[in-house]
Amino acid sequence: MTNQELLVRTLVELADSLVDDFDVDELLHLLVGRSVEILDVTAAGLMLASPAGELRVVASSTEAMRVLELFEIQSEDGPCMDCFRSGHAVVSADLSGGDTRWPRFSPRAMAAGFRSADAVPLRLRGTVIGALNLFRNEVGGLAAADLSAAQALADIATIAILQNRVAREAKLLNEQLDHALNSRILIEQAKGILAERGQLDMAQAFSKLRSYARGHNLTLLVVAADVVDGTITEL
Amino acid sequence: MSFASRSPIVAEDRLLHILTRLVELDPDGGSEHLCQLSAEVAGVTGAGIMLMSDDPFPRGALCSTDSVSALIEELQFTLGQGPCIDAFRDDQVVSEPDLAGPTSVRWPALCPPLLAAGARALFGFPLRVGGIRMGALNLYQDRPGDLSAAQHADALSLAYVSARVVLSQSGDMDLLQAGPGADFHLVVHQAAGMVSVQLGVSLAEALVRLRARAFAEDANVDAIADLVVGRSLRFT
Repeated sequence: MTNQELLVRTLVELADSLVDDFDVDELLHLLVGRSVEILDVTAAGLMLASPAGELRVVASSTEAMRVLELFEIQSEDGPCMDCFRSGHAVVSADLSGGDTRWPRFSPRAMAAGFRSADAVPLRLRGTVIGALNLFRNEVGGLAAADLSAAQALADIATIAILQNRVAREAKLLNEQLDHALNSRILIEQAKGILAERGQLDMAQAFSKLRSYARGHNLTLLVVAADVVDGTITEL
Repeated sequence: MSFASRSPIVAEDRLLHILTRLVELDPDGGSEHLCQLSAEVAGVTGAGIMLMSDDPFPRGALCSTDSVSALIEELQFTLGQGPCIDAFRDDQVVSEPDLAGPTSVRWPALCPPLLAAGARALFGFPLRVGGIRMGALNLYQDRPGDLSAAQHADALSLAYVSARVVLSQSGDMDLLQAGPGADFHLVVHQAAGMVSVQLGVSLAEALVRLRARAFAEDANVDAIADLVVGRSLRFT
């Protein structure tokens, strides 16, 4: 399969998985692995920014620690950090060629056997959330066509990550909603139980619940739950 | 179900219109006017939003624009069947263009009271954000007929926006109760507590008994619960 065919197939696969429930870590791992093949590089790493703006590796095509460290130290300087800050692709065809952009990164990359390094941004409508880092053990940066392909892959990764964040937040909020509704139901049921047992009206039953809760330093919800499940029979 | 014949620009325009109206109605980002917004934008007689969980019966109404919408929710809460329940459970838009028509056998217990109240067509849209579902938006018309493609598309956007707003209010039960037509059937749960003691049964069983009595007397379960809490009805 040609690189072009593999690119198309990869993009279709990634787009497909966005429609269903997907595991974002698996998707990103697939993406970096395919990037190496499609773009003909030696290693690929996906970096995401923390809320504080620090870049961390979230997926790498290799587990080699030296490579992971190379990704990481770019929090100080490197193509990845430049890319993240500017929101544009960054290309370095020859790390040894007197390029003074990255005094910490370049020598260490060369020591690890890499000769060129590029980064494309993960961005969606003006927001940059990280970068796709590509290392090669040969001189020569990405050709224009390859840069487009790299950007397409990065764009899909961005959508997947942002979609995943929205989904996680929605899940959490929905659980809060469920909890709020369930809690209220429990309290009303407890009022009914107390009202019937003590031949009280609902306001009196509620007072009883509240006094007990205060007197025992418990929340209303905990007391209500205990009344409902029979843990507390006398209030 | 498709967005056929709507260009992306028109679709974005409509969403912008929905969001603009929402902010006009609820500048603080509340949920009180979601039903009013839905009825207005979709151009239907009335609207209601129901919240649901895995329980076969809905939790309650977040809002409703009129007594007919309120009845739509109350009937579904009492009987455990209806357009919102189907929409939520099957995660699909539910469409009943003519409650009086020959094909309308889906909710046999619902049709007579709804027709009597003036509802003729009924539509249910699931409320969800991605895979997270929390209820349904129901729209009704006082005359038969399907929603147009534009109304359908608007309803989908309204359901989505409503879901996001509901989630943003999620921690606060009092906020959820604030809207016109909001009804979480608190009296039914109070009555269930009382009946569980009267009969010495579980709360789940008590709810079943309350609903059974409502069905037998052709009443809504809230009405039966009112009698229990008012101590004019005892279960023995």
